[in-house]
Amino acid sequence: MDFAFTKEQLMFKKEIIRFAKKEIVPRVQEYDLNEAFDFESFRKLGDFGILGLHFPETYGGSGADVVTTVMAGEALGEAGVDGGLTLAYGAHSFLCADTILRHATEEQRQRYLPKLISGEWIGCMGLTEPDAGSDVASMKTTAEKKGDKYVLNGSKIFITNGPIADVAVVYAKTDPSQKHAGISAFIVEKGTKGFAAGAPLIKMGVRTSQTSELFFNNCEIPEENLLGKEGEGFNMSLQTVEWDRSALLAPFVGAAKYMLNSCADYARKREQFGRPIGKFQAVKHKLANIRIFAEASQSLAYKIAWCKDQGRPLNHLEAAVAKLFVGDWSIGPANDAMVVFGGYGFCHEYNMERIFRDSRLAPIGGGTSDIQKMIISKII
Amino acid sequence: MNYDFSEKEFTLFVDINEKMAGLAANGQLDRKDPAHNKENIKQALKQLAQTPYLKLGLQPVDGYQGQLSWMGAAETLAAVSPSAYLAVEASTRLFGRAVNEWGDSNQKSKWLTPLLEGNLIGALAISEETLNIENDPLTAQGERQGESVAINGAKQYVINAPIADWIAVAGTCDDAYALFLIEKEASGLTVEPAMETLGYDGTPISGIRLEDCRIPNEQVIFPPADIDMAEAIRMWENQILLGAGLGLSKAAYETARDHAKSHRSGGKPIIAYQEVGFKLADMLTLFQTSQLLAYRTAWTAETSPKEAGELLLCAKVFCAESAEQVCSEALKILGGNGYITGNSVERAYRCAKYVQIAGTSTEIGRVKIGDAALGYRN
Repeated sequence: MDFAFTKEQLMFKKEIIRFAKKEIVPRVQEYDLNEAFDFESFRKLGDFGILGLHFPETYGGSGADVVTTVMAGEALGEAGVDGGLTLAYGAHSFLCADTILRHATEEQRQRYLPKLISGEWIGCMGLTEPDAGSDVASMKTTAEKKGDKYVLNGSKIFITNGPIADVAVVYAKTDPSQKHAGISAFIVEKGTKGFAAGAPLIKMGVRTSQTSELFFNNCEIPEENLLGKEGEGFNMSLQTVEWDRSALLAPFVGAAKYMLNSCADYARKREQFGRPIGKFQAVKHKLANIRIFAEASQSLAYKIAWCKDQGRPLNHLEAAVAKLFVGDWSIGPANDAMVVFGGYGFCHEYNMERIFRDSRLAPIGGGTSDIQKMIISKII
Repeated sequence: MNYDFSEKEFTLFVDINEKMAGLAANGQLDRKDPAHNKENIKQALKQLAQTPYLKLGLQPVDGYQGQLSWMGAAETLAAVSPSAYLAVEASTRLFGRAVNEWGDSNQKSKWLTPLLEGNLIGALAISEETLNIENDPLTAQGERQGESVAINGAKQYVINAPIADWIAVAGTCDDAYALFLIEKEASGLTVEPAMETLGYDGTPISGIRLEDCRIPNEQVIFPPADIDMAEAIRMWENQILLGAGLGLSKAAYETARDHAKSHRSGGKPIIAYQEVGFKLADMLTLFQTSQLLAYRTAWTAETSPKEAGELLLCAKVFCAESAEQVCSEALKILGGNGYITGNSVERAYRCAKYVQIAGTSTEIGRVKIGDAALGYRN
């Protein structure tokens, strides 16, 4: 075993933290309050190379390994970037662009990837439906082949980047008589007739990410927009799980480190009963809880990343364990961080209540904690 | 980066399991049995001496990564027999490590060689009446008297004291930290009867008293002046307890999982019920997270010892508390079977509390982790 990061990786992480603190973090609170997507910061992520870290240089990417890519997510969280922007980045780069990289034709890659990697275009992925969440096979959206076109009908919900996306990877049934085997994946561009996004949903957390429904009403797309072959969609969606359990968890790990640093700074300065509150054991206890969570969750995310770098098939048991831990065990530290700040922690001026709200997505998004438990209990 | 143990390490884990399984059968290493506890531990040491286990983390062994390999092996042993594990570790990686790290060549030859061959049981006594070495200085004291040193003091909760051939007593001498190595029959040494304890029934624990106990100068070990001996020993204890926590979690989780797959209710195995299956999922999550954190801590201790302190405290708190949770849930899954004295889960549950209070307690651990975050100390 060897848990070491390379010097280059560690330097890169420092660079991202420096960049994010300077360019993104000062804007986070304002955009969260307004529930607005920060296009400028998103483009800056593109300019810095973060949106395309693991993509081949041919398409404007950096060719980085998965561990480095996960580290970028952790660094953004550690710098104080909000969960909304990191979620938007995740949905864009891993759920949409990566699926195009893996399954699209070369022509499609050339068409979409450079724009997605630079941040000029924004991507999303449409899988979940009002009546088909964890039970993906129940999806009702259909894609009917008519001549050289597919006609999509149905709707999607809880789609991160939905209202702002230029391109979507959409899953639909090409064979409604089948369950998982009837699901196929398609590329749908914004402006396609019959395709519309709903208004942004009002959410508890990750408010800067824009989440909405997607509607398909006799939406015609060229047959070449089918990704791979008919019936391969479910497996494609499963491949994104590797990113869900590593790169998309990493910002939560980073956020814990941000909370720890913020709480320590505050506890050193804030005085009650004639001494800094950091001198009280109850406060130290809370800081310790945050640190322990950060240390415990870190290795889980990086192990998934390392295995992916080795070219191993995803270990669904370990992936579910990582997701479950970050989802269910993050609530305590996030709550502790808010409480350390007392009344200020409850106010928007300080970041803790936002981080607490953002962290509540962890046990829900990308497969709820109950689904992870179901996966684990079935595998064992 | 590499998250896998090597084939060689896995082979060692299997070997330990096989060598110890017979000895540990029917919980015979984990019973309070004053007539046989010493012999049991000696047999365990003899078995382990046939593998690299005892040397790991103390001496370089080809193909192994010191403390990291040991942590994986420790988990295996602690799952097979919690009591044997604790006794073996107190002997090897407290007493033995102190001699290995701070002793001269004569002292190593006298104590370390037989210890690693499985021919000597050691103990290391550090806790004192206040139980508060975190804040208070050690009061056990040695006074030079010509060629010998006279020691006075009292120690509590000394693992192996009733069965040890030699006891290393932590104290001070000449205003410096010192370890006094005392043979079991030395005049002035009183080993109190083994205590009745909640868990670790097969590991005799007792207090000792030293009243003008005289030992020759060559039986005193002085750690280097820049070493905080008490802090170092606490760190070793915490490392041992990490392995203990992993072993308890492993034993409890695996027993509960196997039971849930074989025990049927309502026409199906109880694992098919979400109340049971989801409990196991939580247990496995705590166990696997504990493993990774403990392995990373051991790796850090092996590669960058100076950076390992805070991480070790984090791992100690997490693994200790997780062990109790895993054991508690396992007991519920086993139902009435789990409540019967002597089964591995009930045993692990009783042992788990010790892992939280021994070494750096989880409370003190959190204070120290908080202090580190605040930059107050460490």
